[in-house]
Amino acid sequence: MSDAPFRNPGWAGNTGEFDLSEDDVRGAAYAGERPPEGRHPSTSASYPFMLVERDPYAPLFEGRHKERYEKIRSRYPTAMAALLPALNLAQELRGHISPETMDEVASLLGLSSAYVRGVATFYTMYNKRPVGRFLIQVCTNISCNICGADEVLAAFLEHTGTELGDTSDDGNFTVVEAECLAACGFPTCVQINERYFEDVSARDVPNILKRLTDELAAG
Amino acid sequence: MADNGRKADTVTLTIDGHEVTVPKGTSLLHAAETLGVEVPHYCYHPGLSAPAQCRICLVEVEGAPKLQPSCVTMAQDGQVVHTESAQARRMRQGVLEFYLVNHPLDCPICDMSGECKLQDYVFNEGREHGRGREPKRVFGRDDFGGDVLYYGDRCVMCTRCVRFMDEVARDGRLTVVERGDRAVIDTFFESGLDGASFAGNIVDICPVGALVSKDFLHKARAWDLDHTESVCPNCSQGCNIDLHTRDNLVQRLKPRENPEVNGHWMCDYGRANYEWLNRPGRLEAPAVGRGDKRRASDWQHALHALFERLAEAEGASVRVVGSAFSSNEALDALRALAEQAGTLQAGVFRARRAEDEDPLPGFPILVRRRDLAPNVDGAGILGFTRVGDDDGTGGLEEAADHDGVLIVVGDELADQDESFGAKAGLFVYLGTFDSPAARNADFVLPLTTFAEEEGTFVNAQGRVQRFRQGLRGPGTAQPAWLVLGTLAAALTGGDRPVSAADAFASIVQRHAAFGGLIWEGVGSAGAALEAAHA
Amino acid sequence: MAYPYRHEKETRILSECFGDPSARTVAGWKKHGGYQGIARALEIGRDATIEDVKASGLRGRGGAGFPTGLKWSFMPKNTGRPHYLLCNADESEPGTFKDREIIRWTPHQLIEGCLVGSYAIGAAHCYIYLRGEFFETTQILARALEEAYAEGLVGRDIMGSGVDIDITLHVGAGAYICGEETGLMNSLEGRRGEPRIKPPFPAAVGAFGMPTTINNVETLAATAHIARHGGEWYRQWGTDKSPGTKLFCVSGHVNRPGNYEFPLGFPMMELIEDVCGGMRDGKALKAVIPGGSSVPIMSAEDCRACTLCYEGVEAAGSMLGCASVIVMDENTDIVKQVRRMAYFYTHESCGQCTPCREGTAWATRILRRIEDGLGTEDDLDTLIQISEQMTGTTICVLSDSLAMPIISSIEKFREDYLALIRRGERVGAA
Ligand SMILES: Cc1cc2nc3c(=O)[nH]c(=O)nc-3n(C[C@H](O)[C@H](O)[C@H](O)COP(=O)(O)O)c2cc1C
Ligand code: SF4
Ligand code: SF4
Ligand code: SF4
Ligand code: FES
Ligand code: FES
Repeated sequence: MSDAPFRNPGWAGNTGEFDLSEDDVRGAAYAGERPPEGRHPSTSASYPFMLVERDPYAPLFEGRHKERYEKIRSRYPTAMAALLPALNLAQELRGHISPETMDEVASLLGLSSAYVRGVATFYTMYNKRPVGRFLIQVCTNISCNICGADEVLAAFLEHTGTELGDTSDDGNFTVVEAECLAACGFPTCVQINERYFEDVSARDVPNILKRLTDELAAG
Repeated sequence: MADNGRKADTVTLTIDGHEVTVPKGTSLLHAAETLGVEVPHYCYHPGLSAPAQCRICLVEVEGAPKLQPSCVTMAQDGQVVHTESAQARRMRQGVLEFYLVNHPLDCPICDMSGECKLQDYVFNEGREHGRGREPKRVFGRDDFGGDVLYYGDRCVMCTRCVRFMDEVARDGRLTVVERGDRAVIDTFFESGLDGASFAGNIVDICPVGALVSKDFLHKARAWDLDHTESVCPNCSQGCNIDLHTRDNLVQRLKPRENPEVNGHWMCDYGRANYEWLNRPGRLEAPAVGRGDKRRASDWQHALHALFERLAEAEGASVRVVGSAFSSNEALDALRALAEQAGTLQAGVFRARRAEDEDPLPGFPILVRRRDLAPNVDGAGILGFTRVGDDDGTGGLEEAADHDGVLIVVGDELADQDESFGAKAGLFVYLGTFDSPAARNADFVLPLTTFAEEEGTFVNAQGRVQRFRQGLRGPGTAQPAWLVLGTLAAALTGGDRPVSAADAFASIVQRHAAFGGLIWEGVGSAGAALEAAHA
Repeated sequence: MAYPYRHEKETRILSECFGDPSARTVAGWKKHGGYQGIARALEIGRDATIEDVKASGLRGRGGAGFPTGLKWSFMPKNTGRPHYLLCNADESEPGTFKDREIIRWTPHQLIEGCLVGSYAIGAAHCYIYLRGEFFETTQILARALEEAYAEGLVGRDIMGSGVDIDITLHVGAGAYICGEETGLMNSLEGRRGEPRIKPPFPAAVGAFGMPTTINNVETLAATAHIARHGGEWYRQWGTDKSPGTKLFCVSGHVNRPGNYEFPLGFPMMELIEDVCGGMRDGKALKAVIPGGSSVPIMSAEDCRACTLCYEGVEAAGSMLGCASVIVMDENTDIVKQVRRMAYFYTHESCGQCTPCREGTAWATRILRRIEDGLGTEDDLDTLIQISEQMTGTTICVLSDSLAMPIISSIEKFREDYLALIRRGERVGAA
């Protein structure tokens, strides 16, 4: 399997009916850089909060990040409504939401820590413990499943040498099962940090992992 | 229009074939209640918001496409409701079955057994045999700190506890953690509920045995407890409570609903402070004689001797020390006796005062008051003057050195020494415990506590509230109003009181603030005093 | 032009620019007539805009198919209180992947739809609630929104009309139930995304306690076109009860999966066999779930005469939902897939309602046991009864959503269950 040529470009749409590059599809060039202080307040809450770079002790709402938080806050009639964006911001910086982070976010918004814990544990995207540099979320829901998602998941576990939910020894990979990612036409869909990899089959897995480690090496 | 006869603020509907008229805005659940029909419910609690999530209260409303949650469906004119139709019963049975899928069924070791709503509902209408064949989910037990223990496996996820803490205590320390079938109730990790001052209520409102009191853990079975209507004696709010007793001991205090005083709630301080009612070593029989001459006696001899001493002392200067733990009946009988026996110089009492008060934010009429005794206000209205410090000591210098008649009722004189009352011509000590400072007493007479007698207190709102007898007093201990009233009657030649009601009637005669009140009228819920005098 | 395949039979209204990165910019979108819809709405006024949408017969594309114009008309007038429009971009219904396509190829189509909706219902603020997983998609929309602000299309005095409309992107954090309209409101407010009981309805008490309307991405995108061309124009497509065009998300065992846009009423078999290039590897069709995983499963037989409109799929015993057509061939292991769905609903149940919290989990465990060859025939009765007990008894319909595939799969594929129960034989591969 693993010596098969790299078939998967990482995105759906290479059907020959469209003349598109990966960037055309992902739209990264159009979206452009996202400064940490945010641009227009209407979009300040929209940043990727699953980045490779993270520091569990990063200061949370300081400097440019504070500016961004304030822009976000200005868009809601209540402080509570800024809770999900604030947790997103915290996870973007720290990689996971620890009890200490919940506490800090709670005091920023004037909420009780228990309340923040209740909310944070409701949502699956908040990592309650640290995860690898790449969080690999394999959709195994129905459309992907009938097209072999279980094998794709197994391949990711095998090639990262991890158990479901655990992080590889080098700290690079954590593989988890995900629910439908809304890319069902292109099974299996795998979300790796902020990116979707579509049309993934088990034999694509080594190549995708290599691409990730190459990116890491390139910085 | 043509509808002149009908009042616009009521609606008339049919529930299980009976017509009922209720105020607009009444839920079907309450409307059914007025007909004596209890629709099962978990998440609904009259003191909290209604999330309609437990789904056990579903009833059939003709014309509605689905069963309706009766807790939030408002009664409407002409509605035809069935709480016992085949469909309603089948769905409730279905919901109950879901509750049992993961429930540990550990009733034999559960403190809630006997008053558990899961037990009740399953008994009333559950399936005979559960169909669950799968292993049960296990959460285990979590110490929430304070007096509260959480058994996750028994929890029915009604969120009453979370809503109480949020909406009533306004203390966001409880939350639902996780979602779906992984959801549990928890605090912020290990931070618990320590220091919360109303958290005990969540144990009361938990419909099952998921939240239990550590203090009460495995202490008694619910069906072995007797319940007596009473009033919390631990501050001047006078929360209405039930004494739960067994083997002539108070096992726990539970709030009793009174919308004017405490709603459905009580504070943790009040709830926790009942052990003093069970304290052993009580005075059990009268004793006569000062110091080394003290001899055991009986009521007949002691009262006879005391009557003679009082009669002799006629016209003497009298000082009395009462207590804010004494009933109105006791305090007024004390005052009446003192006035009869001589010239009353002063009636005083002492009471501890907390540094601050502690209101229940979501039900602000309920305040744990600064005065940590139940009848501070009654004592004041009945003409007693508060003396001493906030810790309940001091202030008795004049009484200690008084050379006339000195009568102490209900104050243990814990801070006084053996010289107390040494100069008194006649020193009578009526109390529940002996005291070193009672050494000079000529008469030591055993009293019952409020839990062992009937009577009334006046709370900080100026409300007279009755308490009933839940325990037997030790030995021959008697209510103070009976002892004092009997003596006063002997001095005046009048009728002696034979019941607390008699003693109360004489208060009504003597004090304008009590004007117009009758004993029965005070009832279970209490009655407001004449505002002008209270 | 749908994506990533195209077909000449398509009617491309919403999908005209799919696969065309140049349409992402304001300028690019204007080349295709962009922002003429909101311009016309501002000209004809609020009431006329609502009338247009009513006349179009557009039905909500988020699953329930509620008439959009009617929903807008429920909003109170002149309350003096803030009104909100919420755009539901939480797209999480298994099998559904149309909103993401709309947003990433034509972000201004959505922004324009949000402007039309906000204007019509008197909202000065619209929140677009995007599922958290849509990082890349959201980035594109964010850029587009910044552009729209810069061009005066959004914000104060839009297009010089004197009307103020703000749009804010709000990003979720992983919870299917936040797609349910009141769950979304709670989530937006910073709470656990638990659905609320109705009444009160959102038009009376919605987000932040204010009158609120919530619409799906595709619904709002369609209103941009309706505002531009009028209601009758939209009715040239589709059926009387299901006017207009719809994106069909086809996934599973077909040769050319993806989004295709057709007038409602398009025949299901033509979609599968012609448009999608037929079944993969020439296998036979076994089953179709026509509307996302929350609707009854159809047998191949049920599909024969089925037309893809609200009434057509209903006549075939299922529901159009969000038109997410999941196609399964003869090798499909129905029991496993139903168990996987049951697991999904267990995982996503918010847990408030007992029938849903306990029922989903219990059903999953029974299905797992059957899959492991340890089931009995009684289990099938138990599953059906559990499902009935989960239907119509809860706050939202997530609970019913699992009941439907369970009941329909046992009715239509009983043999698959019995093969496992009686002989321990799995039917199908995955
Ligand atoms: C469990 C559940 C999940 C839902 N998820 C979505 C969703 O992801 N996206 C969506 O647009 N509507 C979803 N809906 C439907 C919404 O509740 C609502 O009907 C819809 O957003 C209204 O918009 P429309 O009228 O434009 O269709 C969901 C409903 C339920 C019960
Ligand atoms: S602990 Fe008791 S009150 Fe709290 S949610 Fe569970 S069952 Fe309800
Ligand atoms: S508030 Fe006072 S009366 Fe009420 S329970 Fe507490 S101590 Fe007792
Ligand atoms: S039906 Fe399920 S998802 Fe919906 S509100 Fe109830 S528990 Fe939550
Ligand atoms: S089922 Fe995998 S992305 Fe939808
Ligand atoms: S009591 Fe009505 S739903 Fe819980």
